[in-house]
Amino acid sequence: MNAMRRTAFALLAVLYVAVPAALGSNNYLMGLVVSSLIVAGVAVAWALLGNLGGMVSFGHAAFFGVGGYASALLTMKLGIPVLLAIPLAGLVAVLFSVAMLPALRLSGPYFALAILAYAQIFRILATEMEFLTHGSGGISQIPVLPTIAGFDLSSRTGQFLLLLTLLAAFLAAYDAIRRSHYGIALRAMHDSEDATRVVGVNSVLLKSWMLFVSAFMTGVIGAVNAHVINFLEPDYAFSGIWSVLPIVAAIFGGYRTVTGPAIGAVVIYLVDQLVFKALVSTGHQIILGSVLALMILFAPDGLLPLLRNALRRMRGASHA
Amino acid sequence: MLELANVTVRFGGLTAVQDISFRMGGDQVVGLVGPNGAGKTTLFNVISGLVRPASGSRVLFAGGDITRLPLHQRARLGLGRSFQIPQPMHELTVRENLIVAQRFGAGRVDPRKIDRILELMDLTDQAERDAANGLALQELKRLEVAKALATEPKLLLLDEVLAGLETVAKRAFMAKLRELHETLGLGILIIEHDIETISSLCHRVAVLDFGQLIADGTPGEVFSNPDVIRSYTGAEPVVENAGVGHA
Repeated sequence: MNAMRRTAFALLAVLYVAVPAALGSNNYLMGLVVSSLIVAGVAVAWALLGNLGGMVSFGHAAFFGVGGYASALLTMKLGIPVLLAIPLAGLVAVLFSVAMLPALRLSGPYFALAILAYAQIFRILATEMEFLTHGSGGISQIPVLPTIAGFDLSSRTGQFLLLLTLLAAFLAAYDAIRRSHYGIALRAMHDSEDATRVVGVNSVLLKSWMLFVSAFMTGVIGAVNAHVINFLEPDYAFSGIWSVLPIVAAIFGGYRTVTGPAIGAVVIYLVDQLVFKALVSTGHQIILGSVLALMILFAPDGLLPLLRNALRRMRGASHA
Repeated sequence: MLELANVTVRFGGLTAVQDISFRMGGDQVVGLVGPNGAGKTTLFNVISGLVRPASGSRVLFAGGDITRLPLHQRARLGLGRSFQIPQPMHELTVRENLIVAQRFGAGRVDPRKIDRILELMDLTDQAERDAANGLALQELKRLEVAKALATEPKLLLLDEVLAGLETVAKRAFMAKLRELHETLGLGILIIEHDIETISSLCHRVAVLDFGQLIADGTPGEVFSNPDVIRSYTGAEPVVENAGVGHA
């Protein structure tokens, strides 16, 4: 196990204990942390498709919404237990992503726009299929997360621990894929697709797998979110914010890194809610936008590489 | 080993390759020559699967019809190719380039074999370098061939792999190609402009002009063909010592 991984595990262990210990009694702050982890989950899923698959998606709201609705309907209409419905909802998102496979033939902005269109189609479907989704009126009283072995997952601390576990699992999966031969081939495909295909890489198949994995992760997070907020309506579940915020977070944190998108999501969400919102209660997103613009201009690789480079420089200076 | 039957390629109103039929065995080194725009690279693209030919065209390889087969499946069948402008896989080291080629082209990873290929292509010292940004032109050209070798090919398609190299580097590269042919038993189809190189390296030469095959034979026959001289060389043919590379 290298130093980086040891640090990640240690940090995770600290987070499991320290955050509930420090903030557990503050429902508002824990709520913000839970929301930031939801954005982080989608940001990791988005970055997996963007970084490994080389496909910039503007439509992850589609998977998020499908996952939320699927889990809500599976639990409410079929009586499936919540903790089983959540991964099933991820699979439903994968199933819906199959409809997007033709878009894999496109690249760059064409792919991004096609996925955006899919997200809109799913939103319209959720609105129009009233017999199933209750249309624009939405679904209320979605079951809360259950209590397992006496531990209430529907409490803020429970939600936090569940989301942190999912996020850790996503990051581990992302890292494992990235290190595998498939991950190496995927990274190579970005700027040299013909060069990889000509040595036997089935680029369409690999991209499809990345789309499925990304859809699954986003669907699962969408499902958890549905059981956290207990209410869904199409305009919320398929809102563009679920497509845009993860992109902003991933770019801010460093979308070429594995953990950057997650860290970026948590930092951006919490700073926006706790600092910028306190400074400018209406339109605080303007400050967020400005910070992002500055990051892109002066640290285009994102926050994590920026911190790493700063640390290296400090170590270099101390050794000199 | 490789057979093209009535291959035609059209790009809109332009016919880049017209009704070409051609056959080569796996024990041959064949040169493909012709002026710029004659259709040589397009023909390579048809064989390797990057360009789909017009209906009625057929590409057969190792006994099977591969005309409609996707690019990656052709590579797995044993068709290795290099690009005229080297295309290293970005973000990867030289070794990782070979790992990807071996894993997906040959279906397994054998680190010892990768070491042997690196050694064979004089890339051992460059193995951990960034392939896209850390190599000189001749190293990139060697990497092109090394990647193709890692897929364990039966036939190598080499697109101007010697172009841009200085005389000494070119001779060394030619010796390497001969070694590959003789020791690994690889068939080689090579696009090259230099007549001397072709004459000393190849058993056979095929000449394209305006998308048509205008000559096919030994280097001696081809480079003394008046049609070839007129359309391609514009100079006196090199007849003496032609075709002795493998004689």
